[in-house]
This record gives sequence, structure tokens and C-alpha cells, in this order.
Amino acid sequence: MQGQNHFVGVFQVLNSLYNRLTSLNLGLWLMSGVMLALAVGSFARGSSEAAGLNDMPLLLWLRLAPFAFSWWLWLAVALLVLLCLNALLCSIEALRRKGRSLAPQLMHAGFLLIALAHLFSAYGGYKEQLQLGEGGIIGFPGGERVRVERITAEVGPRGMMSAYGAELRVGSGELSRVRPNEPLFHKGYGIYVKDVALNPAPVALLEIHREPGALAALLGALLFTVGNLMLLAQRRGR
Amino acid sequence: MKWLLIASIPLYLIGSFRRPLFVAALLLQLGYLGGRGLSLGRLPLIGPGDTLAFFSCSIALMSLPFVYARELSGQRRFFWSCGGLAALFALCALPFPTLDMPLPPILDTYWFELHVALAFFAYALFGVAALLGGAFLLKGGRGFLDLQYRAALTGYTFFSLSMVSGGIWGYYAWGTYWLWTPKELWTSILWLFYSMYLHLRVKGTGWDRGFAWLGIFGFLVALFTYLGVSMLMRSSHSF
Repeated sequence: MQGQNHFVGVFQVLNSLYNRLTSLNLGLWLMSGVMLALAVGSFARGSSEAAGLNDMPLLLWLRLAPFAFSWWLWLAVALLVLLCLNALLCSIEALRRKGRSLAPQLMHAGFLLIALAHLFSAYGGYKEQLQLGEGGIIGFPGGERVRVERITAEVGPRGMMSAYGAELRVGSGELSRVRPNEPLFHKGYGIYVKDVALNPAPVALLEIHREPGALAALLGALLFTVGNLMLLAQRRGR
Repeated sequence: MKWLLIASIPLYLIGSFRRPLFVAALLLQLGYLGGRGLSLGRLPLIGPGDTLAFFSCSIALMSLPFVYARELSGQRRFFWSCGGLAALFALCALPFPTLDMPLPPILDTYWFELHVALAFFAYALFGVAALLGGAFLLKGGRGFLDLQYRAALTGYTFFSLSMVSGGIWGYYAWGTYWLWTPKELWTSILWLFYSMYLHLRVKGTGWDRGFAWLGIFGFLVALFTYLGVSMLMRSSHSF
């Protein structure tokens, strides 16, 4: 009998915890908390570009940065994790009830996928900057090499650079051209040309990126958009 | 061509009580932006002069469905407040010189233009939502609040699409769909704010006044995201 009472007690506690986790109020408080943490963080030194937050994967930065720099981001991430849990459970509850619109659930799913994408990138992202002249080599894992064959730039009538780029050769294959907004994707990495200088000798500033969350982010964005447009259509005239 | 923008200001301030004059002022602004677009070969979206003019025109353009909404027929003060808001930002645009140059290569993509234009349409709708919130607080009437919700939801849709197109542009331009800069932080804050606002709708009529106030406060957050971050914070991501 005592064991049964204990079981009922545990069940009640778990049930109450579940109800709290699925509550709209918790979601609203968590959203407010994330906003507040990000707002405070935007004025903090840790969010300035000099703090190197964009130079390495987020999880590595959180591990390396002094807590006085990163506390706001720790707080935002912790609240965001709870917010994701809240959104997930809310959607599960809504789907269990019949006759509910699918639109908010699609938006929740999109949001969760985007959060997951950030987690992938925060863990496995990569960024490296290289300054290479013509003939310079970019080495890839597995020994493959990409060679900078030619660096070009055009100067517009106002003296500003109107176009620039570089021609790259992967192994002994064909030439590929990289330009602003037109990177070369190779073996899961993107090669981006950031800047070039022609004098005294042609030099290109290249960046190598790996963004493992990109596909999940795109899928999440598509799901969210579909849900959002459905919601908009449903709310028309109401 | 700037005279078109200048001429739209008194027309908004004096005449936007009347819908035809409101439309006439909007046409002047569209003429101004269209002329600039044709001469530049791109949307005029860089520099405070052009973005403020674009924002002003967006406010008038996004107000139009509300100015002509059946529920708001005869609400001349509301028409004027939309015109007044558009005039205010057109006035702010005047002191800034326009940047008559081609887009830098990194900005020369449709994703960038889509990203910025959608963001301004969203800010404009948040502005209209704020005015409708003000009208509700002053006059009452749930119609204002329903329209405020619709304006905010449409603005939220535009803003989400702007974030998506910005992410795609960022991925092709910078190698990442996300950068930790003050602009992105405030973009997230604004998006979360309107997510919260839309969720609050579920709370029911007991929250009506709070809902109206949030619609007003949201526009201030939008203005800070657009202007405040660029003026007060150091960020590579500003106009």
C-alpha cells in the first residue's frame, strides 16, 4: 500500500512537471528571458566582433571565453533549450487533440529544426582564413589540394573594385571560378573569396567554411515558412 | 528627383485624412524610388538616405490595405496617422546624402535586395500595428485589435522571410547563415518579440490592453533594430 502511494506521488509530481513544461505561460516567460539575455548581451563586450565569437564554432567559444564575457550567451542557450522542449511538448499535445490546425505545429517544427541546425554548426563548424597568391595551395583532409591559378579584379569608374574573384583548380581537374556570392563547394567545405589585391603581386583573401547545420537550417526555414503562410491564410478575415 | 520625396511630405501631413491624397503622396514616393532605382539599376537600399525613404514608402504602401479596409472606413485620424508616420521618416531621409554608386560585389545579389526589402515591409507593418494599437487604446473597439493582429502577423511573415533570405545570402556571401553581431541579436529579439505577441493572442480578451501596448512597444523594438543598432553599436551588419 505504501509502495502504491509512493508511485502515485511520483506520478503526480511528473504529471505536474509535464503540465508546466507544456504550458503557454512557461513559453512566454522563456521567450522573454531569451530576449532579455540577448538584449543585455548585445551591449556586452562578449558580443563585439573583436571577441572572436564568429571566428570559431560556438561551443568552442563558450568553452574558451571567460565566463564574464560569455554568461549572457550561456543564459540564452539554457533558456533556448527549455524553450525548444516547451515548443516540442506543446506540439505533441496539440497533435494528440483532433481538429487542431497544423500550421503552428509546422512552425514549431521549423523552429526546432533551425535550433538543431545551430547545434550542428556550433559543434562541427569550421572557419579558416588564408591569404594566397597565384600558385598558392589549399590543403584538404585526405591530402587533396586546391590550387589558386589566377586572381582577377576590375576597378569601376569611381575607383572602387566592381568585381573580383579567383580561379581555382581542384586536384588536376577543371578550373572553377569563385566570386563574391559564388563560392566553390568541395568535400563539405565552401571556399569563399573575401578580397583581392593586385599590387604589388595578386593576392586573394580566401575563407574556408564548413557549416554542418546549413541543410537543416534550410529545411527548418522551409517548414516554418509553409506553416507561417498557412497560418496567414487561415487568419485572413478573422 | 528628390522633389518628389519632398513633395510627398506636405501631402501626407496636410492631405492624408483623405484617401485619394494619401494615395497621391504614395505615388510621389513610388515615383521617387522608381526613378532612383532606374538610374542606379538596383533597388535603392544602401545608406540611411535611401533606406529611410524606402521605409517611409513601405509604411504608406503597407498602410494602404488598412486605409481601405471596410472596418476602418471613415477613420480619418487613423489615415492621417499612417500618413504622418510615413512623412516623419521621409523627413528623416532628407538630410542624408544618397549613395549613387553601384552595389559592392558582396551586396550585388537578389537575396540581399529581397532580405532588405522584406525587412522594411515588416517594419512598416509593425508600425501600422502600433498605430492600430494606439487607436484601440484611445477609442476602444475590438476591430482595431483584430486588425492590429493581422498587421503584426503579416509583418511577422515578411520578417521571417527576410531572415530566411538573409540566411541564404549570408551562406553564399559569408560562408555562414548566421553571424553573432548586434544586428543579428536584435533581429532575433524582434522575431522572438512578435512570436511572443502572436502567442499572447491565445490568452483571450482579458489581455486586450496589454496586447495593444505590446503592439506599440514592438514597433519601438523594430526601430531600435533598424536605426538604434546602426547608430549606437559597432557592427559590420548595418546600413
